[in-house]
Amino acid sequence: MAGEWISSSGEAINIYASRKARSGRGRDIRRRRPAAPGQRALAITVGKAARGTVRRLRRGNGTAIPGMAALAIDAHLLSGLASEIRLGTVIVTGTNGKGTTCRMLAGVMRASGLLPITNQEGANQPRGLATTLLAHAGPGGHLPADDRAVGLFEVDEGSLPEVLSHVSPTILVFTNVFRDQMDRYLDLDYLTRRWEHCLRSLPADTTLVLNADDPRLAYLGADLPNPRIFYGLDDTEHRRGILDHTSDFPRCPRCTGELSYSCVFYAQLGHWSCAHCGLTRPSPQVRAAKVDLIGPASSRLQIVTPAGEAVLEIPLPGLYNAYNAVAAVAAATAGQLPGGALPAVSQMTPGFFRMEQVAIGGREVHLALAKNPNGYTEVLRALLRDGRPKHMLLALNDRDEEPDVSWIWDVDFESLCGLVPSAVLSGNRACDLAVRLKYAGWSDTDAAAITVEPDPVVGLRLALAQAPEGQPLWVVGTYQVLWQLRDWMRRQGLVSALWEV
Amino acid sequence: MTRRAITVGYLYPEIMSGYGDRGNLAAITRRCGWRGIAADVRELRLGDPVDPGEVDLFVIGNGGEFHQRLIATDLADVKGPGICEAVDDGAALLAVGAGYELLGRFYQPARGVELPGARLFDTWTIQQGADLTSASCTLTEARAGRAIGDLLVQWDAELLVGFENHSARTYLGPTARPLGQVVAGQGNNGDGGEGVRLGSAIGTYLRGPCLPRNPVLADFLIHAALQRRYGEAELAPLPDQLEHAARAAAVARHQGSRPGRSRSARVVHSARYAPAGAGR
Repeated sequence: MAGEWISSSGEAINIYASRKARSGRGRDIRRRRPAAPGQRALAITVGKAARGTVRRLRRGNGTAIPGMAALAIDAHLLSGLASEIRLGTVIVTGTNGKGTTCRMLAGVMRASGLLPITNQEGANQPRGLATTLLAHAGPGGHLPADDRAVGLFEVDEGSLPEVLSHVSPTILVFTNVFRDQMDRYLDLDYLTRRWEHCLRSLPADTTLVLNADDPRLAYLGADLPNPRIFYGLDDTEHRRGILDHTSDFPRCPRCTGELSYSCVFYAQLGHWSCAHCGLTRPSPQVRAAKVDLIGPASSRLQIVTPAGEAVLEIPLPGLYNAYNAVAAVAAATAGQLPGGALPAVSQMTPGFFRMEQVAIGGREVHLALAKNPNGYTEVLRALLRDGRPKHMLLALNDRDEEPDVSWIWDVDFESLCGLVPSAVLSGNRACDLAVRLKYAGWSDTDAAAITVEPDPVVGLRLALAQAPEGQPLWVVGTYQVLWQLRDWMRRQGLVSALWEV
Repeated sequence: MTRRAITVGYLYPEIMSGYGDRGNLAAITRRCGWRGIAADVRELRLGDPVDPGEVDLFVIGNGGEFHQRLIATDLADVKGPGICEAVDDGAALLAVGAGYELLGRFYQPARGVELPGARLFDTWTIQQGADLTSASCTLTEARAGRAIGDLLVQWDAELLVGFENHSARTYLGPTARPLGQVVAGQGNNGDGGEGVRLGSAIGTYLRGPCLPRNPVLADFLIHAALQRRYGEAELAPLPDQLEHAARAAAVARHQGSRPGRSRSARVVHSARYAPAGAGR
């Protein structure tokens, strides 16, 4: 067994079991008209039919439309079904790492004998949650009664207030907050203020699981009576010299004074304190005492919790995944899941595009999603930290609702200059990426061959042809390009459809 | 010939670099570097004074209102006089978004008293969007009236391409003239003008990294900085095929979009605002 629980009591206590269906305080939903009898069943029937149709037509991944249709018929669907989950619901939100944290936590829940209902397919707005729940519901409009059922949802950071108006979580996990989709979220301070505001309507017994290393998160809802568990990294071996500029240089959450750091891991995550008012990073109850970054595909963590200590192997690289693992263990600790279940983290399979590995013509191809400055920078650092040159396909797409790609100028391509002997740039904004790499100095070295090919499938073929035999190809890109590639791979029979896995 | 050098004053690097603004600094330093010109970057933080004789080219980027509040007084009182004197003496300047807003006479937030400007430009800015400092403001409310999308600007013979995302409107006083005319998007306030130009100083809503995709604008600033330092300036042409390809893609995207599906900013409130403080 990869992990070892040293001082676990071994007995499975869990607070979920003692919970009854929850009712929130001052919920908007309570003021809405209740659903007419039969409306819920109709909503579920229509949602299920939509889900089947979308999948048969192979249009998209079918995770949003069914929920949207069902919610149009019954606006209470989400709150109604979520309140039927016997052991309550865990919500994970934040900019990066929601999905991976959920996958890790789902493994621990299953190993604890629970049956998590998750939106693993990734649709993380209210309609996506509705799709997940209606898929589990019976034709009568109810979830099957199961004492082991527990909800586990990743929730889009911008949608958290709306989701919390429908669902009262037993545990609410925050991963981190970074600059992302500024067209949509507008402003980091605004986003965290909205979170702060929506926490006020939580029941007082919802446990908050907070990243102590993120000064924007550590003191969320500090004046609320809710129980809270902090997590963070204690091992300072992988610290960086200075704050990345992707940190946005946060100010003190109490006095807006300047923060000083004794240790920065990446972006604004680290051991911080306010030079002005003396506020410091809370001491985490769940912490990584040792982090071994083994290579571009795995890590080993020694994690200490109030109940004991465990060594966990995770099949994912980089400090950002160490944070995901510690967050998952902290959530498991909040739920009082048995320590013996924690090693299940190592059996997790990475989500789509989270360093997902595919074999194409005998070649190893790794797919990694990167959609904001921090994510992109940390994925590249995780891949290239061993200093061995890697052949890459880098892809960038914009979307109708998010036409801005100025964030690529905040990705730290500069420090990775010279580590990529050949790169194919793809996606509808491949030219912008080419300009970015030119100004980062990638084309100054004679060794780097950069090719621009906006069509991702043609780009993939080119990249495979450029990388020498026996060398893996690393694909890093935004959602849309990765979906296009995945769709092509599915048609080639290389991967299965999202919902068939 | 001795190696030419210019000094670039980068204003509030940690606070006002919210939207890829470092791309503008990279464009200036790299385009100097490729031509054998040294670009010495001087970071100017809160409290640092500005020596008007030292800096040839100022750069200030973008941020939210929170960031504007942090720097407004320092910019107006500590650095403003030095910046104005340098620009008067021919120094170049690029101010983007929130930085542009604070170089005018004042900035009026959605709530509370106005923030002082550095009074370099004869402009003023009124926040007309929702109050983002109010936690109860929903995303839909926050986005209403905001100009978000591609911004294309005719600047003399050149077409500048970029992106805008702002809910404040900037108005030009009698002595100010706009940088250019809006071809697509909103620009200053919906009256067809975009940005402001005073000598070699430019304020614009072309957000974040506008220089890499508009090398002609980058070279205008470098040229002005050299001119100021040496009284003469000659810039060798650079191979800008990649930059032009990225520009062409942006222009094509705009021209290719159907009416009603335009990706340039939709102005929700188009009525021109007559600011109370316009007479100042």
